[in-house]
Amino acid sequence: MTASGDTLIEARDLVKDYPMGESVYHALRGVSLTVRRGEFIAIMGPSGSGKSTLLHLIGCLDTPTSGEYVLAGSPVHTLAPDQLAELRNKEIGFVFQTFFLLPRANAVENVELPLIYAKIPPAQRHHMAMEALEFLGLQTHAAHRPNQLSGGQRQQIAIARALVNKPSLILADEPTGNLDSKTSENIMGLLVRLNQMGNTLILVTHEPDIAAYAPRQVRIRDGLIVSDELVGTPGKGGGS
Amino acid sequence: MSAATRKEQIFGFWGSVAELFRIALRAIMGSKMRSFLTTLGIIIGVLAVVAVVSILQGVFQSFLGQFEALGANTLFIRPNYEMFSDRREGVRRLKLTYDDAQAVAQQVPDVRAIAPMLFRSDSIAFRSRHDTTTIVGTTEAYGPISDVNMETGRFLGPMDVDSRRKVCVIGHDILDKLALSDQCVGTEIQIGRDTYTVIGVVEKLGGAFGESDDDRIYVPLTSAIQQYGNDAANQLILLVQVRDAAHMDSAVERISNVLRRQHGLKFGQTDDFRTFTQEEVLKQIKTFTNVSTLIVAAIVGITLVVGGIGIMNIMLVSVTERTREIGIRMAVGAKRIHVLYQFLIESVTLSTLGGVIGLGAGWGVSLLTVWILRKTVSPTFPPAYVPLWVVLLSLGFAALTGAVFGVYPAVKASRLDPIEALRYE
Ligand SMILES: Nc1ncnc2c1ncn2[C@@H]1O[C@H](COP(=O)(O)OP(=O)(O)OP(=O)(O)O)[C@@H](O)[C@H]1O
Ligand SMILES: [Mg+2]
Repeated sequence: MTASGDTLIEARDLVKDYPMGESVYHALRGVSLTVRRGEFIAIMGPSGSGKSTLLHLIGCLDTPTSGEYVLAGSPVHTLAPDQLAELRNKEIGFVFQTFFLLPRANAVENVELPLIYAKIPPAQRHHMAMEALEFLGLQTHAAHRPNQLSGGQRQQIAIARALVNKPSLILADEPTGNLDSKTSENIMGLLVRLNQMGNTLILVTHEPDIAAYAPRQVRIRDGLIVSDELVGTPGKGGGS
Repeated sequence: MSAATRKEQIFGFWGSVAELFRIALRAIMGSKMRSFLTTLGIIIGVLAVVAVVSILQGVFQSFLGQFEALGANTLFIRPNYEMFSDRREGVRRLKLTYDDAQAVAQQVPDVRAIAPMLFRSDSIAFRSRHDTTTIVGTTEAYGPISDVNMETGRFLGPMDVDSRRKVCVIGHDILDKLALSDQCVGTEIQIGRDTYTVIGVVEKLGGAFGESDDDRIYVPLTSAIQQYGNDAANQLILLVQVRDAAHMDSAVERISNVLRRQHGLKFGQTDDFRTFTQEEVLKQIKTFTNVSTLIVAAIVGITLVVGGIGIMNIMLVSVTERTREIGIRMAVGAKRIHVLYQFLIESVTLSTLGGVIGLGAGWGVSLLTVWILRKTVSPTFPPAYVPLWVVLLSLGFAALTGAVFGVYPAVKASRLDPIEALRYE
């Protein structure tokens, strides 16, 4: 990519330590990463290498032990919990491996959730959530609760929730980890479509098939980036 | 600024509260049985208070009604039994007589009328019916002072008293007690060992529990003295009406002076009689009301603390159970204050709902209690009465309990770390 792209993420020497009794566990040992708007990145690596930890830092769910992190102009490493919450609400949409939907709320209410905390009035909120569901072709399932939906549909609801606030950045941690290969393809197709529409996407996976959808692949091992390469153009996909 | 931004501002704080209230209701209704058990402490507390207060208030209201009907220009005088630690000694040594009454009537110009009353409990009978009631020996003055209204016949007259006639005026309850017809004037009934002729029936009054003024028979004072003897004649109660309620205090003082002279009391000796004005009686009733309200308030306090601990306990469990939910909300942008308010509003809603249920159930219990008391103790037991302040106070305290005991769990929830909350299994 050229330097002309608008920088969204600027992370420098991110370190994350976890106290383990007497000693300290170094989950991240100094990670630097620059992401421009519109990029689609796959973060790969073995289990326990620090992928989720990095994604949580990028997603402002957690703060680094040391290092600097600027997201869309905000110095995240200096922010207080409530400022992080606001940033998550405005700039970030999360998609998790186990969906993390509210079991008692129906599909459209789950999608509305970020809008509640953005203080959008109920009618407008409902309208925006229905739009997001329509975009995914799920409007007929709006009144269904998560336990009345298939795994793929649940993940689509979660993606609708991640989209609804029009964030700068969509983060997905093993979004296909709990899905069969056919459903995984659909979900990845959807993510590629989102990227083509201009959304910035960061995806964590340890499956090469899934990572192959992303034109930029970052490999991480023992809390350090070991490779960062552009392998193709977005949307081609490498899966079978 | 765009329309959306302005709309956001309008939505603002109350919009968020309405939102959180909706979330709270869903959580509460999501597990109805548990919510019910959680608020049981509050429900029982409010129930107990409403039941007790509504019955007490009903009784007080009916007392107040009676004494207010007495009028601000009347007072009672009775022997000062409190002078002796043993009431029987007082009955033996103290006197308040018809002579005293006449002396007061003649010597105190402020007094418009005075009715001496001799109270006696006695058996009564008509044909095969037997019962007991309160016999009141009095004079024709009693009628106007007490504002007695007749249903049929007439009240006692001066001739009845002067000639010691064996006639009687019966209260409304006596009709039932002796199975008398509405046209019983002229009928002869037994009072104790003597026979009296009914000359009138008093209109139904209603009255406080056990003390109904409808359950009475009025006879001429002279006839009562003849029947019950001098001991009874020496223990009268005087019902006095003054000309002007504004001069009640000076009237009481003059009456006291006359009675002291009558009884030959020396300077410094305490009065051997006591006067009760409507104002004093009302004051005593109000003191009693306040004391019982305080006792009730103490009970409320204790039960609500117990109820509050129950709520705190379940809210803590609820926060733990919903750690994942809290994590999800935080991940999509909920601030600490949002989570705090969510759980606080949930516990306030829960406890207020408990208060509402307790209020309804308490009202039901008091209606049932009054019904049972009417069947067993007294058919004229006054209806239960719930003043507005009891409703507001119970709901207010229930809500306050929810707020106070909800703070700790809510703070705990809001302090969760988003990542740890999401990881929670
Ligand atoms: N809260 C924590 N306390 C202690 N150690 C932690 C904590 N969170 C993560 N770790 C450790 O940090 C390391 C990196 O964890 P991370 O979740 O980032 O791994 P990952 O690359 O996402 O692995 P996986 O592919 O299995 O999800 C792991 O060894 C993990 O045990
Ligand atoms: Mg992981």
